[in-house]
Amino acid sequence: MIHIFCALPCEAQPLIQHFKLPDLKEFDLFRIYQSKDKEISLTITGIGKLNMAAAVSYQHACLNTAASDIWLNIGVAGHANIPLGEVRLVNKITDNHDNTTWYPQIIFNSPCKSTHLITLDKPSTDYQDSLYDMESSAFYQIAIRLGSAELIHCLKIISDNTEQDTATVNADKVKKMISAQVQIIEKLIDRLKPLSTEIYSITAEPEHYQHLIEKLHFTQSESLQLSRLLRQWSLRLPDEDVMQLIADNKSGKAVLKTLRDTINNSEFAIHD
Amino acid sequence: MISTIYIEEEIANHPRTLAILKRFPDATKISCQRYGEVFNSKSQNFRLQKKQAALILARKHKGLVLPSPKEYAIGAELNYYFSHMLNCLYDCRYCFLQGKFQSAHYVLFVNYEDFIEEMQLLLNQHDEEAVHFFSGYDCDSLALDPVTDFTSEFLPFLESNPRALLELRTKSTQIRSLLKREPIKNCVIAFSFTPDKIARTLEHKVPDINKRLQALLDLQEAGWQIGLRFDPLIYTKDYAKEYSELFNEIFSKINPELTHSISLGGFRLPKDYFRKLEKLYPDEKLFASPQAEEKNNIGYPAEIRHEMLDFCENIITQHIPAEKFFPCHETI
Ligand code: SF4
Repeated sequence: MIHIFCALPCEAQPLIQHFKLPDLKEFDLFRIYQSKDKEISLTITGIGKLNMAAAVSYQHACLNTAASDIWLNIGVAGHANIPLGEVRLVNKITDNHDNTTWYPQIIFNSPCKSTHLITLDKPSTDYQDSLYDMESSAFYQIAIRLGSAELIHCLKIISDNTEQDTATVNADKVKKMISAQVQIIEKLIDRLKPLSTEIYSITAEPEHYQHLIEKLHFTQSESLQLSRLLRQWSLRLPDEDVMQLIADNKSGKAVLKTLRDTINNSEFAIHD
Repeated sequence: MISTIYIEEEIANHPRTLAILKRFPDATKISCQRYGEVFNSKSQNFRLQKKQAALILARKHKGLVLPSPKEYAIGAELNYYFSHMLNCLYDCRYCFLQGKFQSAHYVLFVNYEDFIEEMQLLLNQHDEEAVHFFSGYDCDSLALDPVTDFTSEFLPFLESNPRALLELRTKSTQIRSLLKREPIKNCVIAFSFTPDKIARTLEHKVPDINKRLQALLDLQEAGWQIGLRFDPLIYTKDYAKEYSELFNEIFSKINPELTHSISLGGFRLPKDYFRKLEKLYPDEKLFASPQAEEKNNIGYPAEIRHEMLDFCENIITQHIPAEKFFPCHETI
């Protein structure tokens, strides 16, 4: 799943339209939208770090996110001299309040240039050679507890700079700027999806695990052993029917013993 | 090859940093205070990062040269290792670095001068004794040599300190800088091998056996001392046939005179590293190998371990004198 967070309704609207995201009416603390296939969600967080942190946590609780999910903070930001409307992926986030720094891991071919971002507590027109916003550090700080650094990113579109400061920004302009970069957002998602799929594939439980856990009693350490043995089984005895072998086992312990003994007595070749 | 470079502020103007940055004009450069902010941060995925690892240029402050475990000695009483680099270009599935580090990025400590100073201090402390230094614990010693200039910086130190011996442990064919200079007696280039089919299965992005063997022969031809490392020994049902073929291939070609040492040891990992790797690569057969746990390590059961070590030892000692052979007969 892909979770997008925008501070402002005008940042969110072009994405809601583009990805066709209906409003999920059952959640009222923050506005959450989600595609019918549940692949993409978008949450409007409101301005500032507190709102962003609360919204990410809320969304996580409401939608049951997974370790393989993609997390994106998309919105506008200021910069001293990058032209308005240009887009940047963030490669370093510094919280101006305490100088804590995070490094989103761009381990794919980025669809646009990347740069440093500073998250401020209050709006400022004291532009420097960094992006400025008011949410990214909070977004990253919470999202990194829920996902993997390679799948959590901030994408910012330049809305103001030293030549045209925040006074010139309005909702209409923001909508147009975001709409103009939808292709880059699509590309970013396309590059992140295979990484997400890879994490999903390595975190998924082996075949029959869930069924056995529900049917028989396993302690916590026995469940771990079961998961490991089922995996070893699929690698060492891929053509044998494991369920048939353990059909007569009446307890979790008996299943583990049967699996272990059969695996240990099988031949092992590391290659074909 | 490298598209992102993190640079510690402290060494941003170090001549080695500047030289390396010059080689990668198009890379995105990101400054950081300490490399650990990037390298050690949690919630990173080693497997994903391996797809496009970044380079981190940093300064090593302490623990530059450390005592190395006795089991890995190759003939001296005093053994130390140092890591000018963390992580490796290659991607061997059995590599313990995947378990040791959070991140797959390559860290290069550019302050070689401090490593060399510490090595000199150690030599001074142990007057008249031979001291062995090992460089390939946390990286492949040569794989990134064209970028790091590691050998051209460290070998002059060896040349002027004949009591020291340096082992460069590698699976690489990056030997150009070595061939360009006169060989040094107290430097051993130690090549690691597993049989061809096993290497193809487990050693990703690594030069194949023939290329490695050719690099080894080129070095011997030029007069360099080489080492052979059959560590880890990998178990498979036909291991005897596969290892026999590998040994035949190697021993029929190498010059025993210029073979400094041979060592071997079974595949084993600290338990927590093994468990981490098993999670990172759940579809990897290596982690479904016959296994036993001893003293917080996971490796092959004693029976398999001893059988393999004895088998290999038998063949190896037919080719080289016992004093050049260093089996690692520890428990797992
Ligand atoms: S060559 Fe050595 S250091 Fe590099 S991945 Fe393989 S085992 Fe690890």
